[in-house]
This record gives sequence, structure tokens and C-alpha cells, in this order.
Amino acid sequence: MRRTVVAAMALVTGLLLILDLLVVNPSLGQAAGALNELLVLLAAAAAVGGAVTLGAHHLREVAAGAGSRAGSMVLLGGMVVVLVAGLRPGSTGSADPAVAWLVAALLAPIAASIFALTFLFLLGALRRGFAVRGRETSVMAAAAAIVIVLLLPLGGAPGDWLASGATWVRAVPLAGVFRGLLIGVGVVVALSAARFLLLPDRDDD
Amino acid sequence: MTTDAAGVTDRQARVARLRRVAPSVALLLVLAGALLIPIAADDPLLRLASPERSRVDGLRAAIGDVPVDGLVLVALDADLGTYPEIRATTRAALVDLAAHGIRLAFISFTPEGRAIAAAELDRLRRTGVTPAPADLGFVSGSEAGLVRAIASVLPESAAGPIADEIDARGGGLAAFDLVLVVSGSDLSARSWVEQVGPRLPELPLAAIAPTFLEPELAPYLVSGQLTALLATLREGVTYAEAIATEPGDERGPTPGALAMLIGMLAALAVLGEAAARRLTGGGRPV
Repeated sequence: MRRTVVAAMALVTGLLLILDLLVVNPSLGQAAGALNELLVLLAAAAAVGGAVTLGAHHLREVAAGAGSRAGSMVLLGGMVVVLVAGLRPGSTGSADPAVAWLVAALLAPIAASIFALTFLFLLGALRRGFAVRGRETSVMAAAAAIVIVLLLPLGGAPGDWLASGATWVRAVPLAGVFRGLLIGVGVVVALSAARFLLLPDRDDD
Repeated sequence: MTTDAAGVTDRQARVARLRRVAPSVALLLVLAGALLIPIAADDPLLRLASPERSRVDGLRAAIGDVPVDGLVLVALDADLGTYPEIRATTRAALVDLAAHGIRLAFISFTPEGRAIAAAELDRLRRTGVTPAPADLGFVSGSEAGLVRAIASVLPESAAGPIADEIDARGGGLAAFDLVLVVSGSDLSARSWVEQVGPRLPELPLAAIAPTFLEPELAPYLVSGQLTALLATLREGVTYAEAIATEPGDERGPTPGALAMLIGMLAALAVLGEAAARRLTGGGRPV
């Protein structure tokens, strides 16, 4: 399909959704609603397709003995356990107690533990970073150290002073930099999208 | 002789590996031990709760503004990685809402959020919260699903008095007196402000979010697009302490101040040691 066709579809879809947000019109609302339904179906199809592709990939890995067979088997086993718990006859799907138990007793603690390990990995990475990129790492480590000091959970007047400092850092420099980044990212995305939509592809020339 | 030499090398390698791993394991054991030491909320030396209470008061006021028997939608789209940071805050909010006699409905627009919501609903049912919250399930399509929910939020299978009340009020998001958005990395309160805010400007939106989302969401609180926001661990602990009614109120554990302090001091020590090594021109750290 020529890119101009894709671009035209994207433009019409986007304009319709924006117009629906700005103008109260039943016909426009119905058209935007229909498009939205398509988007929901597309997202659901993509999610199911992704899960099937992931399962098929790891089944191939196990069959061929390639990659990490143990890892693939754990992943496939996990998928089977959750699917059986949620789809077996009499199950209430994702609200089934078996699924809820799998999430609360296994999945959530495992994910939280892995996330908590980033504390150690980050410290290790910073130590190595000093050896590889000393200047950049020094700036990052200094900023991290300041924030850590400001967030120390101390009581009394020193604790209040630190907490005030942390609030100021969050509200002024951090918020300023973050908003600048957001605006910058927004401008770049808008320009890239406009370029993609409006400039003809070389193949189209 | 060669076998002996290989054995010695193996032993040396094992000892070297143990030496590398020992500090991390020791730190984890110390942190686990520190978690077991109870620290009183009014301890003069250690305090995790924030002295700044305006955001906590904001959420309490938003919940207080919901009429008794009102309907609140809990949009639970946290992610498994960061949910532990806001779990105590979320559970405190659920306790707060229940204490006001507010009827709850749960919905999720992300798979991870749905998994967490199912577990939280199961916990609420086991604790005997009345009336039992309505489960509006998972809506696919992320932001597109969110837009779709504005008109219709009730799944086909929804039944019970809360579902009937939502239906009687139009069946869409406008049926609710407040939406409490429990945010995660996939779908945050920002999506609600962008997609739902312009379409339902009268619907109050409150949010609980992990710290990394605070810089993104704070401007919406200042502009009034969010009615309330709790987005740091300290605010969450302040809120949980503010609504604590009794020790076993099923909010789940709040983070331990002593363990936090030890972890932070360890991080500072590691940073200081690495910086000193760099300044003195020491060898590459491992």
C-alpha cells in the first residue's frame, strides 16, 4: 500500500477524533465511536496475536533445543497454568480465586522482588560507570546523592528541613527539566508525524 | 599435580565469587532484619511520613465530598513492578472510602492492572467489605477502551445493586461521583485527564501514583484537572497514618523507616567509596 494512502487514512482518522472532541454532533460522535470500537478490537487482536506469537516462539525454542530451554519451559508452563486457571470449566476468568491467588501470591511478589533488585544493580552500575565514563557518572552520582540525603527518613527539625528541600527540588528543578523534556518530546513527535504524513515517500515520487 | 592446581584455582574462584556477592547478600539480610524492627509512627528520630500534608488533605477532602452511598470508580491500572510502592496508599484509600459508606466499582484498562485489581477484589471480599465492590472487569484497547467506557462502562455480565445503580445513572463514567485512578507505567492519570477530562469536565479525578509519575502528574493537580494526587511514598505513608483506625485494618504493611534509612545510607556509602576511588585514581571497581 502506498504511504500516501496510509497517511491519508491516519489524517482522516485523527481529524475525525479531534473534531469529535471539539464539536458536539451526533453523526460525528457515531463515526468517532465506530472508529474507537475498531481501535479497541485492533488492540485486543494485537494482544492475543502477541501472546500466541510469544508462545509459538518458545515452543519452537524448546523443540529445537535452542536458546534457554529452561527459561522457555518456565514461560510456557506459567502461561498454561494461568490459562487453565482462568479458562477451565466453571472458572470466572480473571476474577477467579485461583487466578487471584496466582497473582497475589506468586506474580506480584516475584515482580516486586525483581524490581527491588534494581537497587543493587544500580549501585553496581554506578560503580562501574565511574571507571568507564567518569565525568557523566560523577554528575549523575552527585545528583543521586543529593536526592538521597534530602529523602532520608529523619524525624525532628532536621527531618523537616530535608523534607522541605526535597519538596523544593521536586517542584522547581525537577519539574522544570521534566516539563522541558515533555515539551521537547512533544515537538519532535509532532514534527516527525507531520513529516511522515505530509511529505511524499521517495517510492511515491 | 595438575589436578591439585586446578582444584586450588577452582577454590580461589569460588572464594572470589563469594567475596563479590557477600556485601550484597549482607545488605539484603540487614534490610530484611531492619524490616522486622517496629518503628512507631511518632518516633522522634525516624519518620517516613511527610510533614507536608496538603496533598493528603486534598484526597481526604475529595473523598469527603462524595455523598454517603455515592459511587466511586477505582480505575486500577498499576503495574506489578511499582505497585508495592503505592499498595499501602491504595489500601488506605479503599479503607477511607468504605469508612465513608461509599460504594465501589473496579475497572482496569491494562492486563497487569486487571491482575492486581482481581487480587485486591478478592482481598476485599475476604475482609467482608460491604457492600461488596462491583467488578467491571478489564476493558481492552487502553486509551481507546477508556474513551469507549465514557458511554458504557458496564460489562454484559455485571449484576447486583451497584451495577443496577450505575445503569440507572446512565451506564457510563458520568454515573460516578469520583474516579480514583491508581496509576502505573502503562496507563496513568494523564490518560484520564487527556481523554476523559475534556468529555466529562464535571467528573472529579483523584490519583494515586508511584513517585516516577509525580513530575508528569503534578501540573494537572495545580491546574485543577486532578482533584487530588498522592504520588510519593512519604505522602502515601502520611495518608495511611492519617486514616489508620486500628492495627489490623488490612491495609497491608507500610514501608519500614529503619530499612529505608539503612538502604539509603548504604547507597551513599557505595557512591562515596566509588567517587573516592575515582578521585584517588584507584583501579577499576568491580
